[in-house]
This record gives sequence, C-alpha cells and structure tokens, in this order.
Amino acid sequence: MQPEISCERVRKIYGKGSAAFEAVNAATFAVEKGEFVSLLGPSGCGKSTLLMMIAGLETITGGRIFAGGSPIDEPRAEIGIVFQDPTLLPWKTALQNILFPIEMMHRSRTDYIERATELLHLVRLPEAANKRPSQLSGGMKQRVSLCRALIADPAILLMDEPFSALDAITRDDMNIVLLELWERFRKTVLFVTHSIREAVLLSDRILIMGGRPSTIVADIRVPFARPRHFAIGDTAEFNTLCSALRDEITKARGLRMQRDTDHG
Amino acid sequence: MVEPSSSSVAVPRGIGPTRAWFVRLPTQVPALALPVATAFLFLAAWQMIAVLGHISPAILPPPTMVLARLTENFSLIMKHTYPTTIETLLAFGISIPLGIALAALLVYSTVAQQALYPNIIFFQLIPKIALAPLFIVWLGIGPSSRITFSVFICFFPILIATAAGLRAVETNMLRLCRSLRMSEWQVLVRIRFPTSPPYIFSGMKISVTLAIIGVVVGEFIASQQGLGYLILFASSRQQTDLALACIAVLCVVGLLLYGLVVVAEKAITALYDFR
Repeated sequence: MQPEISCERVRKIYGKGSAAFEAVNAATFAVEKGEFVSLLGPSGCGKSTLLMMIAGLETITGGRIFAGGSPIDEPRAEIGIVFQDPTLLPWKTALQNILFPIEMMHRSRTDYIERATELLHLVRLPEAANKRPSQLSGGMKQRVSLCRALIADPAILLMDEPFSALDAITRDDMNIVLLELWERFRKTVLFVTHSIREAVLLSDRILIMGGRPSTIVADIRVPFARPRHFAIGDTAEFNTLCSALRDEITKARGLRMQRDTDHG
Repeated sequence: MVEPSSSSVAVPRGIGPTRAWFVRLPTQVPALALPVATAFLFLAAWQMIAVLGHISPAILPPPTMVLARLTENFSLIMKHTYPTTIETLLAFGISIPLGIALAALLVYSTVAQQALYPNIIFFQLIPKIALAPLFIVWLGIGPSSRITFSVFICFFPILIATAAGLRAVETNMLRLCRSLRMSEWQVLVRIRFPTSPPYIFSGMKISVTLAIIGVVVGEFIASQQGLGYLILFASSRQQTDLALACIAVLCVVGLLLYGLVVVAEKAITALYDFR
C-alpha cells in the first residue's frame, strides 16, 4: 500500500544569491495511512517550513512531495491544518467557526451541524457552541480550531506546534483530548513540536530534525500500545525513550555546532 | 520553595515612601471633575484678565459677554449653523465610502497599489488647504465646491486607516484561507473587511474634524452663509464676542459629530466582538 504522505529529497531555499538560506535539505520520509508522526526538533530547524510545504502553502525548491499518491503543488481541501494560534474569526461563534470551511467549500452547512456538535462534545466543549472566541480561554479556542480542522473529514491532519502557546497544564489537557480524538478518527497526522514528551505520548513514530541545512536525522518508532493514556508518561520505558531522544537531538545540534566552527 | 507570605514583607504604615499630594487623586473624585474644574478655572482667569485688565472687548471679550451674545443672537447663529452642519455631514458621508472603496482597491489589486499608493503618499504632503481657492474657481461659490473641498481633505485618513486595517490580517489566518482555497475576493469580503472596523473608526475620528475644517475654510473663502462666513463677518466688524460665540457653537457641532462616530464604533464593535 502506498503511503499517505511521502517526501522525496525535499529542499527549501529562501532568498537568492548571497542572501540565500537553505532551510531544509534532502528531507526524505513517508507517513502511512492512519499513522501519527511527529516532527521533533529545536526552534528554527525547518520543521514548520516542511509542514507548510506539505500543506501546499510554501513552494518547494527541490524534491517532491506526494499526498494520497499525487504530487502537492497547491493547497488541498482534504488536508486539515491546525496552527499555533487558533486563527478563529472573532465575529463568529464557535459553531460558525467550525463550519467555516464547509461554507467555503460551498457545501450545505446544515448537513454538518450534527458533526460539528459531535466534535465539540469529543473535545469536551459542548457548552461553547454559541460562544464567541472572546468568551473562550486559549485552550478552548485551540480545541475549536481542532474541530474546524476535522469538520470536512480530511484524510490528513497537519498540526504546526498547536499547543506551544498554551500553559503547561492546559497543554497536558490538550494532549489527552488529541489522544482521544485520534482513537476516534484514526487520521493520518503529521505533528510539529519541540516538546519531547508530547511527541512520545502522541506519536507512532518520531522524526528528529536537525543539522545545517536541516534534514531528518533520526526516525524512531514509539513502541507503546494504543489506546494510550496520559499515565504512561510516568513509566520508566517512557522516560528512557525521552532521554534517548534528547541524546539524538543533542547529537544533531552538536553536529551543527561543529559544522559552524568548521566554517567560522 | 516556600513563598514568603505577604505579611512578612509588608511595610508598616507611615514608613513607606509617601507621594506628593498632586501625584495621585483621592479615589472618590469622579473622572470628569478634574477636567471640568480646570476648564472653569481657565474661564475664570480669562474673565478676570478681561475685566480687571480693562481690555477692549474687540480684543478679548470676557466669557460672560460671549455667552450673552450667544443667547442674544441665538437664532442668527443657528441659521448659519445649519448649512455648516449639513455640508460637513455630506462631506463626511461621501468620504467614508470613497476612502473605504479606494483602500479596498489598493489592497485587492497589486497594480492599483503600485500605481496609486506612492502618489497618494505624495498627495498627503501637499498642504491641501492651499488648494481651497482653486475649488471655488473650479466649482463656483455654492455648497458643491465646499463639500468637494472638504471631501478632498477628509477622505485621506479613512483611506490610509482602512488600507492598514485590511492588511492587518495575521499570516496564519491568510494561510488558513489559502488552505481552504478561498479567492482573493473572498478573503477581502469574508476576512479583511470584518477585521478592519477598529482601524476604519480610528480614521473616521480624524476625518470628522477635518470635514468641519474643510467646510469652514470653504466658507471663509466664498460664502454668504455658514458659521465660517459669520465668523469672518463678525471679525471684520470687530464683533469679537460674536465670532467667539460662533466658534463655541462649532466646537459643539464637532463634539456631536465625533460622538456620532464613537456611538457607531461602539455598536459595530459589539456586533463584531473585537476584544
């Protein structure tokens, strides 16, 4: 079976001539259908750039990206995206915000109201349907944004550091909500994060990005069974895997620092 | 770590730094009391200087004299207030859709932006008041020349503010729109316009005062009616009290129009929930 997402030697260069900056180079990986994969790395390692290229929102300088078997050259309706900020329209209610993609796809909103309500229940926000974003907390807004990404039943869900602007406690809540949502829909998810624990808790596989120019430096399978619970974070296996990942990241950064001194 | 309790760091009364009496108001004084009191103090000083200094009323009539003139000639002043107010409202009313439409064109079309925007900025630098006599030459001495001139000077702030508002949409919001395959037109109508009211209103607040200036300047140059005309007329006869009475009424008109914008802003803000 062909993978849901595949990247072949993907490259991104910003700018031209002497000002050119190579953000991503030779990133090659695949995500199977129904797999939850995290892109993990320090800030500025090009993981968001890579995600935006897969979303069709950034041009690709080199290599190829396929989604559902066909090459990505523009944004697609069957890809749902969650950004770091909730990007809700302040003049619409939570329900109207969730139905906004449906409206833009010229589909009948009434056909989707039931699904929108179900999604709000799944993210434990049933009372928020008729509230404006200004009446919701940061975590609540991001949950509404999650519902919006799922409303049109996309094959792929791309998440760009969706919880990194939230406080630690809310972030844990969001991880639990996302685990439950994934169990319910089993979407193909590509999740960008710089939190090692978050990546281990949520993912089937973790791709570590690093180096300069940045690329995929490690591809690590997370062995924990599904359905997962937040409590696995307290087990020894979980923490062993976290420290192994931390070593990998340090190694990738060490490589980068060494290269910097070579050039310098 | 144990946080130190607040009582252990509290400074006993009377030992902490004391502030001079004019730094902070007692909390029970209403917010409006101080500015009103200051204004009355100013008027009282004016009265004292004018009366005790034996200054000719043609130079500086005391406020009481201005007030007396205002009540005495109220119907005359109102007769001239009417055209000034109507012309200001018309000019302001025309400049709002004009400014917003031009801003939308600039944001929607790259060609329009490149062709027009530098010229608009250059136009901003012209002291536009200097062009007022030419509007009389072009459009005659009727209301149309005054209204046109007023629109000419007061639509710029709305244009500039609206253009800024239409561009104030966040990067990720625009990415979301692109991922939903929305057209530029859809983004303009569905996202950019509903985002821009706070910007448009800040432009309108500047614009409404310019609209009055435009009309009054027009009346100075060539008119047989309006408060601008009456001020000029009174000044030429050294009726300084009448001129000041007219200016007081102009202030009230300006305040009312500004209030109108604030009320509209409150209504729209509540509707669109910008917080």
